[in-house]
Amino acid sequence: MEANSIIRLNHVNFYYGVSRALTDISMTFGKNRVTALIGPSGCGKSTLLRLLNRMNDLIDGTRVEGEILFEDKNIYAPDVDPVEIRRKIGMVFQKPNPFPKTIYNNIAYGPKLNGVSGAEMDMLVEQSLKQAVLWDEAKDILNQSAMNLSGGQQQRLCIARALAMKPDILLMDEPTSALDPISTAKIEELIEELKKDYTIIIVTHNMQQAARISDETAFFYLGNLIEYSKTEKLFTKPDVKQTEDYITGRFG
Amino acid sequence: MEEKRHTSLHYDKELQAIKDGLIFLGALTEKAIQQAMTALAQRNSDLARQVIQEDDEIDRLDTELEERCIKILALRQPAAIDLRFITTAIKITGHLERIGDMAVNIAEKVLQLNDEPQLKPYIDLPRMTDRVGAMIRDSLDSFIRGDLALAENVRQTEQVIDDLNEQIFRELLTFMMEDSKSIRRSLLIMQVSKNMERIADHAKGIADMVTYMVTGECVRHQTSSLHE
Repeated sequence: MEANSIIRLNHVNFYYGVSRALTDISMTFGKNRVTALIGPSGCGKSTLLRLLNRMNDLIDGTRVEGEILFEDKNIYAPDVDPVEIRRKIGMVFQKPNPFPKTIYNNIAYGPKLNGVSGAEMDMLVEQSLKQAVLWDEAKDILNQSAMNLSGGQQQRLCIARALAMKPDILLMDEPTSALDPISTAKIEELIEELKKDYTIIIVTHNMQQAARISDETAFFYLGNLIEYSKTEKLFTKPDVKQTEDYITGRFG
Repeated sequence: MEEKRHTSLHYDKELQAIKDGLIFLGALTEKAIQQAMTALAQRNSDLARQVIQEDDEIDRLDTELEERCIKILALRQPAAIDLRFITTAIKITGHLERIGDMAVNIAEKVLQLNDEPQLKPYIDLPRMTDRVGAMIRDSLDSFIRGDLALAENVRQTEQVIDDLNEQIFRELLTFMMEDSKSIRRSLLIMQVSKNMERIADHAKGIADMVTYMVTGECVRHQTSSLHE
């Protein structure tokens, strides 16, 4: 994991006002790996995810200590443009949030701001929808509203929209918690495919999902990183009792 | 191994039922081998036939326990210690069922031996049976308590049983060389001893699984530390 790391956190603390949400987190995320962040509600896993593309900047009164190195550059350095970071580190949210626009324009919205147009845009839309395994279902209805798609299709559209910005990393915050089992299976299959080209960091409350799709898993509790290891090891023989109690349902 | 209770108390009860079932099955198999040996020592063929009959109950319990384990795998999707516990329990029930079969094998040989005059007083075989019975008990105790030291003790005892089997084999070889009329009975007693030795292998198999359950390490194909 060390040699191919894409993001490294060094002694990161994070505060909402005076309340500390993350305590002294040091960890690295592997390139082209799927890393799952698990833990009970309020443990800091989503906070950590949002730190990785500076989404927490949008919340007043928050403060970060330590450094988060993306390709060896601290993303919280004063000269770093958070918009550029969010382009390279895309995000997919819990509930599908397509724009109230056509399917085509959902994908094209971001790239258009970057000057893409015409045939190049058509190709980018097709490529992104294919990567998100939505092309076959959407190719004949590209000019229809994205709001007409099912929940699972909308979520894959949101993934396609993120991919159209050609990010290096895809952050996913419980991307299947609002979906039915079939749509969930499609997204999980998609994640397996996407990891060939992208690094994926996913927050999930579904431990079986973490076990199924991730290479590494990090367990958080009360803002602390309790255990971080290969998923297979963490789910069969974790080193820390707290981790074991959580994944076996003995927590509380 | 004292564990916190699950948030779902039903889950705790399901796991406890598997523990209880394995203890009961273990007690039945230990009784079966003791009775088979008593049937030999006391030349009691009715008791040997009873061992053969009662194996149906061991088979039934084996199937029931395996089904319970599979149900937990499907419905609870256990992880970590619970996953290792269930996989260990599935293996243990298989070992116990095989021990029941070995007791039947012994009882069948006893029926044949009891039809002929006794070749020699049985001294080592009852001793061997007591030690093998203790191995089954200890292996199951180590499972219930997650007791690595006790499991290791069982793994080491298996070599003692192997040695006893060798000793019995050599002794019977002498009988056969001295008197050709003793060959059939000697061979039957050898098979009794061999079955007992294989029961010890199964008890060691249980102890190996306990080591896996506690440490997550597979030691099935490793020699016990005493003999390394």
